[in-house]
Amino acid sequence: MNPVARISLIAGYSVLALAALGRSSFQISTKLSEAPVPYLVSGLSALLYVAIAVALWRRWAGVALVGTAIELAGVLTVGTLGYIESSWWPDETVWTGYGSAYGWFPVILPAVALWLLLRERACRSARASAATAPEGA
Amino acid sequence: MELYTGVIYPLVLVVCAVLAALGLATLATPRTHRLLKLAIPVAYAATGIHAAAVVVLMLTGLDQDLFLSIGYTVASIAVLALLGIGRLGTPEAAAADTDPDRPVLTPAQIVRVDAVAAVIVAVALATVFWRVLTIVEGAA
Repeated sequence: MNPVARISLIAGYSVLALAALGRSSFQISTKLSEAPVPYLVSGLSALLYVAIAVALWRRWAGVALVGTAIELAGVLTVGTLGYIESSWWPDETVWTGYGSAYGWFPVILPAVALWLLLRERACRSARASAATAPEGA
Repeated sequence: MELYTGVIYPLVLVVCAVLAALGLATLATPRTHRLLKLAIPVAYAATGIHAAAVVVLMLTGLDQDLFLSIGYTVASIAVLALLGIGRLGTPEAAAADTDPDRPVLTPAQIVRVDAVAAVIVAVALATVFWRVLTIVEGAA
């Protein structure tokens, strides 16, 4: 992956991890019983952001790919459920409103990261195929 | 309170907007990087002024959520570390670190990393400042 894109993603995920860790640790430690599902979802998203940031830094492409896929599925599911089943969410999560409280970064970032990671994976496969193809074929 | 909502909050939002605009401009025109570098100390100053204002509001007895206000203020200071992060990718900086995952950037890549980091920090700061405003207005 282009180093500029990689560093940009790491920076984006670090900021989101900081925000989600702060928010969820406060909510879980002080008022978990009030809205356990939203606060645990925020905690899960925080762990996911940390894992993806570390995976991008350590070049663990598989972990980053799975993490961003889970994250995108999570933000789309929670965002949609927030509108159609609002009674399930007594309080907001990081992913509520598709991350509107965080400038929609929670939905933009995994979409961009997935695109870059899948593109890198396709390039790697193409290079591997070219390297193993018999000469003159 | 009026000073915060009428002057300081709009001021820091303008700084965020300028930072984001310069970040985007630097992505399009790398020569703007010089202006972006000038905007970084301005962003530091604006965040410092905002943090001081939040502390003053707390000390003057405004009944705001202390823990959240402090948390958001600390977060606003923490994200400043990302401004100008491209300098960590220079060959000299990378040579001083044994981490094999650390990227080494060309001057053009350093400019682009700085630009993207500025946009990310601008959005993050604007969001944090807005959250603090919500808390302060809720307490007033």
